[in-house]
Amino acid sequence: MRRFITACTLGIAALLMPTIAWATTVSSTQLIEDPALWDGRTVTFAGEAVGEAMTRGDDVWLHLNDDAYVVGTIEQGMPPSGYNSGQAVVATPELAAAVTVFGDHRHHGDIVEVTGVFNAACPEHSGDMDLHVTSLRVLQPGTAVEDPPDAGKLTLLATTALAAMVAYAAFALRRAAD
Amino acid sequence: MLRPSVDDHRVVGLYTGKIVSGVGLLMIVPLVTALVFREWDTAIDFGIGLTVCLAVGLGLQALCRTSDELQRRHGLVVVSASWILATALGAIPLYLSGHMGSYLDAVFDVMSGLTTTGLYLMQDLDHVSNGLNMWRFILTFAGGQGIVVIALTFLFKGVGGGLYHLYSGEGKEDRLLPNVVHTARVIWLISLGWLAVGTTALTIGALALGQAPVRAFLHSLWVFMGAFSTGGFAPQSYNTFWYHSLAFEIMCIIIFVAGSLNFAVHWAVWTGERSELRRNVETRSFAVTLGIFTLIAAIGLARSGVYTDALPLVRKTFYLLISGHTTTGFGTVYSRALVTQWGPLAMLAIIGTMVIGASSCSTAGGIKGIRIAIITKAFVQEARRMLGPDSAVVTSRYHHLKNRVLQDATIRSVLLITVAFLTLHAIVTMAGVLAGYPFIEAAFDGVSAASNTGLSCGVVSPSMPGALKAVYVVAMWLGRMEFLAVFALFGWLWSVVRGR
Repeated sequence: MRRFITACTLGIAALLMPTIAWATTVSSTQLIEDPALWDGRTVTFAGEAVGEAMTRGDDVWLHLNDDAYVVGTIEQGMPPSGYNSGQAVVATPELAAAVTVFGDHRHHGDIVEVTGVFNAACPEHSGDMDLHVTSLRVLQPGTAVEDPPDAGKLTLLATTALAAMVAYAAFALRRAAD
Repeated sequence: MLRPSVDDHRVVGLYTGKIVSGVGLLMIVPLVTALVFREWDTAIDFGIGLTVCLAVGLGLQALCRTSDELQRRHGLVVVSASWILATALGAIPLYLSGHMGSYLDAVFDVMSGLTTTGLYLMQDLDHVSNGLNMWRFILTFAGGQGIVVIALTFLFKGVGGGLYHLYSGEGKEDRLLPNVVHTARVIWLISLGWLAVGTTALTIGALALGQAPVRAFLHSLWVFMGAFSTGGFAPQSYNTFWYHSLAFEIMCIIIFVAGSLNFAVHWAVWTGERSELRRNVETRSFAVTLGIFTLIAAIGLARSGVYTDALPLVRKTFYLLISGHTTTGFGTVYSRALVTQWGPLAMLAIIGTMVIGASSCSTAGGIKGIRIAIITKAFVQEARRMLGPDSAVVTSRYHHLKNRVLQDATIRSVLLITVAFLTLHAIVTMAGVLAGYPFIEAAFDGVSAASNTGLSCGVVSPSMPGALKAVYVVAMWLGRMEFLAVFALFGWLWSVVRGR
């Protein structure tokens, strides 16, 4: 009897799968490679907030990157590990206000987890592929990134500057001789 | 073939040295940017790049002092040699930044910038410094006008002769003024005029979108440079999709269409001959082919059912098609969405626009509208000749800066370049297929590289095979030079070895 009830429950759940708000954790690659599969579904997505929040009336656009640099930027010692990849998401100003540090050269941005409805071509936002956020939380606050001068590069600069001065001296001498 | 003399080599070395020094001086702009934003490591990278350029440029000028005049046989070789050296040396700061997978990747990005292609292999673009981003856009803006045009503007004196072959070697043939140095200066005057107006308009737009003032200015300056040079570089990895703004997209379209127009047409409009814009065969050809390919893409997208409403369909289709046709490469969809959402028909329509390209003597690439118009007129003329009486004299006319009669010699030279472009497109497509990519994707990115467009459906990436990166570098170079300067360099090298 228990087996029968379990089978019935799983069967009903499978039938309802496409219609219930089932938040699956996804990556931007999954969304971009198979947008039709995820269109209209509620998904959870996490990534580093980069750039800035851009306000459009009641909407705020955030760009969340879930690429290799989510653990740190090249300036923080991460080796080059491919392109950036991420997902543009739309949130209310109240939800977006939780994000305070955005990734750029001087910062590694907040790592943000959002849940919302994915749209392969959102009719509300001119066909953009987006995600309408219903909940947002900051998993890890952003940090400042240092960009200190490299000692080896300073030595190289001294050498190349000397070479340029020698070349200029030779050029000036030849021009004077002419 | 005559073997070049030592004096011939000196002339080539002297002028190449001048141009390389000029490219080095351009690095002052990103260097100052890095210092202003206290990006010390980036500043050192540009210090190294600048001093290496000056060492090579001044060294060449010191070694190759000669009183011999620059002649036709030198001009094209100087252009090719300068582009090779400028690319190799311009890659130094990119490579030192740590954002490139290899020196070949850095060379790829510099060649892409100088040829106004817009494909890139830079990694973690969203975290690069302002100085490094500035260099990417200086490369594409300078490349759009032509690095030789810069040198002619600021470093050369003279009235023409061999200087014209320097100018024409970069794929520009129309003289705006009788003096080629004055022509180069007018090109810069037009570009800087647009820079001031375009950057101001975009900055106002970016401020309205919520960007902070400094970021709004920098983004606007860079987007302008990417648009007007029909380059396609953007400051964020999301390209112009970043802005999510119809107003911003319209401003971009105005700027990159302006950049894709013949500088001679700009000059005609500036000097009061506004009808040139309407009468010129290139602008007419552009309008017709844009309409045809936009319709094809819209049919493809309507079939796939991606965009359920008309407005998004029109907005996305028109933006990408006009971006492809002007060989700009700005996009408002993810690269892979071209494959996963747009499908083969819409992709073929974009490939069609990229193959044709925009106007000659502009910042754009591709076969160019004037050649498509001349070939079309030649076909019509031939059909009329076949259908008419034997005694009929059939002539065809077209308007390009003045009324012209279509000559057989013009048709021959146009067909020669067109066949060369089509062969190049076939070769890069084949190279992509050989590397294991599906045909349509290999054709899309291959044509994008060879036509200096910059749209990508995902073939171009840091993980693509090194040999294919090298093929694309050569394709971008050949496409920008329109073959002649590159062939001249090979001819020069051949005559050094086998000449009499």
